Amino acid sequence: MGQGFILGLSTGAVCVAYCGPVLIPYLMSESGGLKKSYLLVAIFLTGRLTAYLLTAILAGIIGHAVVQQTESRTFIMGFAYMILSALLIAYGLYRFKEICLGKTVKKMPESQNSQKRLLIPFTGGFLTGINICPPFLLAIAGAIDSGTIAGSVLFFVAFFAGTSIFFLPMPVAGMFKRQHVLRIIGKFAALLAGFLYFYKGLILLIR
Amino acid sequence: MKTNPENSFSTTGKIGKSLLLLLPMTLLIFILSTGGKPNFSSQVSLIAFLITFFFFNVLFFMILYKGKVDKYRAVGFILLALFFALTFIVDLISMRGTMTFNNETALACEIPFCHIVTTMIILPVIISGSIIFPGSIIGGFASITSMLVIVIGVMIALGRGFCSWGCFYGGWDDGTSRILRKPVIKKVNPAFRWASFAVLIIVAIMSLLLVGPFYCDWLCPFKTVTEFEKVTSFTVLLKTISFISLFAALVIILPLLTKKRIQCTTFCPMGALCSLSNKINVFDVSIDKEKCNDCMLCTKVCPTMSLEKQDVEKGKPSITCMKCGKCIDSCKRGAINYHIKGTPVGKRLTLARMLFLYPAFTLLVVFTSGTMQQGIVLLVKLFTTGSLLK
Repeated sequence: MGQGFILGLSTGAVCVAYCGPVLIPYLMSESGGLKKSYLLVAIFLTGRLTAYLLTAILAGIIGHAVVQQTESRTFIMGFAYMILSALLIAYGLYRFKEICLGKTVKKMPESQNSQKRLLIPFTGGFLTGINICPPFLLAIAGAIDSGTIAGSVLFFVAFFAGTSIFFLPMPVAGMFKRQHVLRIIGKFAALLAGFLYFYKGLILLIR
Repeated sequence: MKTNPENSFSTTGKIGKSLLLLLPMTLLIFILSTGGKPNFSSQVSLIAFLITFFFFNVLFFMILYKGKVDKYRAVGFILLALFFALTFIVDLISMRGTMTFNNETALACEIPFCHIVTTMIILPVIISGSIIFPGSIIGGFASITSMLVIVIGVMIALGRGFCSWGCFYGGWDDGTSRILRKPVIKKVNPAFRWASFAVLIIVAIMSLLLVGPFYCDWLCPFKTVTEFEKVTSFTVLLKTISFISLFAALVIILPLLTKKRIQCTTFCPMGALCSLSNKINVFDVSIDKEKCNDCMLCTKVCPTMSLEKQDVEKGKPSITCMKCGKCIDSCKRGAINYHIKGTPVGKRLTLARMLFLYPAFTLLVVFTSGTMQQGIVLLVKLFTTGSLLK
């Protein structure tokens, strides 16, 4: 669970920094003050959690039914950790053009129906949740490694908690001034998390 | 050779004023160097006291008289790091017979608590109410309570000034960053000044999850010059390689090549925590925009990359500023000064400067005086007996 939390922390800041500029204006454009903004953020996070839970169940099934049954499980997981952590280190070191699926909500047609309007932050949350990036891939590997569906779900819940910390201050305007700093800290955190996972993979391979 | 009487009078006046301002500090240095009870067991300890006492008085006098802070601060600060390492290692070897510790030492709660551990005990204390460090709570050698009281007090009083005036490790990369006259690597990406915050986040959470001080276990470069775990397994061997390579890279090679305090700026979780305390601290460094001619010399000399072009435009360094005084010394127009938050910039400069320098220098004396005296005694012992051990 702890590892999931760390991974979440390493990706959360980057998510906010890259997907935020698209999603935040929408969230802020909804009048209703801080309370309404927090409600929208909550819906957005529910969308993310839904995406993570679905991924967790899938990863849990793969982990339980396939990987756990394989004799060379330790080697597979060690190898996967090393490759994915190397990706995470590269992700921390270099600037990539971020692909944020959540950006697609910008293209959604506006609706006057309040229930449909609430779907927009939910969909945005869902799409940013399944955004393919090194921390997310490592989280899938970690969830598969847990070997059970329950373990996988717990791993992703922790991952979600780690990412959510960065979304909670969204409605507080002052936070936006520091977005570039958050992004930098997130990148460095990703780099460190990458080294931790690389070590984990190395130890699994040596065993 | 004739001297201009006006200049002579001015110099005499300056000396007099500096001596007057030195007087309270002289008293403080005496009290702090003797613990308030002068009791010299041998001639050597008396000589060590006299050297220390004289040294700090001269240092503070020079800060006052020459008007330069960093140049003289660094002398005391670097000596603090060197004497601390010397006395700490000798103490350990005298007590344990080795620089290494093992499970028995940890179980006996005999591991000295250093200020960096503060960053690792916060979350476990908040969540579980337990201290995840095998040290003594009260009493003994470097107890947890005494160190926490000092660290919290200093963070409130000086903010990240602690990293330039009190930290007994900071003098290492401060020293190595001064060896070359010009940097070999001329530009370091200023984004690295935020790296220590990522280290703080990861270290605080990993320490909570592993129920142990993660940075001390795996990442602290200063294990190389203090104490480290006895190599009994492949994992401990990896840890030892980690400590030594981080020390070589972050404390020696990179500061040498960049003339920046790389370890303190990019990898110290305590530095990040102290940076946050800069927000609540009353002192900061301010730039008088009316005097500043945008030469950007301060951005080049700042050892922590806390002054970039945008910071100069804003009139103050970023929260990562260690208040070392290097930018103040470098500014030819006197536009940069210590400042008390809430007061007008560029006004009552001497007052703000003195209000900062007294507690900051006192902190340097608190940490250095005892260590320095002990170090001098040890060095005399080395020369007379050929052994450092007690």
